[in-house]
Amino acid sequence: MKKLHPLSIAVRSISRSVNVGLLFFIAGVFASPGGAGGTLVSVGGMVLLGIVVAVVYEVAYYERFRYELTADTFDVASGVLARRDREVPLRRIQNVDVRQPVLSRLFGLAAVHIETAGGGQTEVSLQYVDEEEARRLRRQLRRGARAEDDEDEESASETRDSSPDDEEELLFEIEPRELAILSVFTIDPGASLLGGIALSFLSGFDPTTLIPADLVDGLPGAEGGLVALAWLVVLFLLAAWVVSAVLTFNRYYGFRLTRVGDELYYERGLVQRYSGTIPLEKVQTLTITERVPFRWFGYGALAVETAGYAPGQGSRGTESAIPLAGYDRVVRLARSIEPFGEVDLEAPPKRARERYGVRYLLVVGTLVAAGYLLTTATALERGYLPAVLVVLVPVAAHLKWRNRGHQLGDRYVFTRTGFWNRTTKVVPYYRVQAVLHTQSIFQRRRRLASVTADTASSASLLGRAATAYDVDDESGLEMQLEIEERLQERLRARKRERTVGEWFGGQNESTGLEPNSDTPSDNSEEFER
Amino acid sequence: MERLNPRIRVVWLFLAVFRAGIVGGFLVGAALVLSETGLWANSPDLLVPGAIGLAVTLGLVRVAVAWRRYAVWRFEVQDDGLYIERGVFTRIKTVVPYVRVQHVDSRRSPIERTTGLATVVVYTAGSRSADVAIPGLTPERAEQLREDLRRLAIESEGEDAV
Repeated sequence: MKKLHPLSIAVRSISRSVNVGLLFFIAGVFASPGGAGGTLVSVGGMVLLGIVVAVVYEVAYYERFRYELTADTFDVASGVLARRDREVPLRRIQNVDVRQPVLSRLFGLAAVHIETAGGGQTEVSLQYVDEEEARRLRRQLRRGARAEDDEDEESASETRDSSPDDEEELLFEIEPRELAILSVFTIDPGASLLGGIALSFLSGFDPTTLIPADLVDGLPGAEGGLVALAWLVVLFLLAAWVVSAVLTFNRYYGFRLTRVGDELYYERGLVQRYSGTIPLEKVQTLTITERVPFRWFGYGALAVETAGYAPGQGSRGTESAIPLAGYDRVVRLARSIEPFGEVDLEAPPKRARERYGVRYLLVVGTLVAAGYLLTTATALERGYLPAVLVVLVPVAAHLKWRNRGHQLGDRYVFTRTGFWNRTTKVVPYYRVQAVLHTQSIFQRRRRLASVTADTASSASLLGRAATAYDVDDESGLEMQLEIEERLQERLRARKRERTVGEWFGGQNESTGLEPNSDTPSDNSEEFER
Repeated sequence: MERLNPRIRVVWLFLAVFRAGIVGGFLVGAALVLSETGLWANSPDLLVPGAIGLAVTLGLVRVAVAWRRYAVWRFEVQDDGLYIERGVFTRIKTVVPYVRVQHVDSRRSPIERTTGLATVVVYTAGSRSADVAIPGLTPERAEQLREDLRRLAIESEGEDAV
């Protein structure tokens, strides 16, 4: 059984002290009775107590924490107050992520996170081990899974498995130009908050100085409060934008995606380093995203979805395989993961477009009604102005319609939706868990339906499953039937492959060529096309 | 296509009335508080009758939906998968292939026990259809269905789902 790196006590203590210290600071502020001197002493005392508690806890945590990589499981014993022994079967591991936040990076430490499909959170977190150990674990965790059938041939598997390491194939490396475009046009959700904070720091916390008076004076209509307000908004957006660009730059700096054997390996980050593996045999869905400013430049992004991440992990739910690259390059890479053929999407029927038109008309109608209410209740005039938006309704409806589509391919289901954030999903039939045919009352009126091919991908929890929207309801039922049939067919085919693989795998095992029939045959079946 | 046991309407109607009662109670209670205590100085006279009317309407809609739900609900144990049709407003037709069934539960809530009914819940690894429940079965049918699904899931011999 191994322990964490001793320095992890220091790193964990510092980060925990900040949290606990803050908590006790607040507690101290509330608990201390009046009197300035007394307050300072008691608050300081409480903070100190908090830090001591944190350090003692971390020492105990370190002392209690043990992990071990066995031939087919990864065992972790941990817990200070409540103890827990956990055994993770290696072949159930979905993703392994190595994260190095600033502080741990300074100490040369890294955190290893291991994800499996079940459970509500990361199954195993090692915080922290040294970088070398993290690298070793990342490789061994997947290798152990591959070499599980021949534990007794330890030496043989060593030599065999070291060979794929040599043939590390670089799939994608972000170019400075792409990183620049990505940084400039990405809106980081946290940036607006940070931008506000940055702005208030710059202005020395005085809200009146937030508006540069000298600049405002030179502009017409500066006397009105509206212009000042507009300036404030502009400044705020500017700050948020800069912060967002910096955050994105830091996040994707040096992004590399390589392929080692049957898994993808990514690394990224300037200040913090992130890296991890995505096993190809665990891929549930490929998602190609073309956001609006990027699409105009001919760029797209690719995400590889597994069942590994827990709900609520936000945008990290799927690690993007490619944050931004030319569309052709994205498709080429996607094809190297799942070899799908030509994509020729079928558009929804024309009456779907009418539906979107009616929907947008209703939105405009609501806006006009709200405007009317505002004019009656306040001094504002011309509440009918939103009616101008009616001009945009046909355009919007058409764009929405044009960006939706679906296709039932030979081995994959393709679905596409979204104008601003056009998302194309590629789902292998054998990953489908259930097929849903849904019809809202509005869809029923126009004989339309939505067909969803549900997978175990954790990203679909955020409501982005592979759905073919607004297909004809009859053909929707046929689609449902066909997806289900193809799933059975693909499963039978895979089973055949597996059995054949086992026979040959059995022969190969004696010659030491193919360690485990399971994984390679599964992939080779997909790659032969 | 198999229909649910008609007694499920009793369960659904009871739940509809019960929930409508809670919501309606809040609505009427709030209206009474506002008009009687003078929190809202010149509240319209129609406030309390309006609230009662709204509560009754909502209750009637709920009851109608509960009644209609029975007419819509259907399921079938097909060759390769379990087929379910449901939904009053949004109609959902689901196919769950037996290969993907992770485990099957049968359960009986207190109200189901008093009406002599049971629910079978089928779990998959999927993210949207993670659990599919078939309510309104007699305990014998539920037991039999659970047993059938278990057998079919084992016979289908799926590979690992994820």
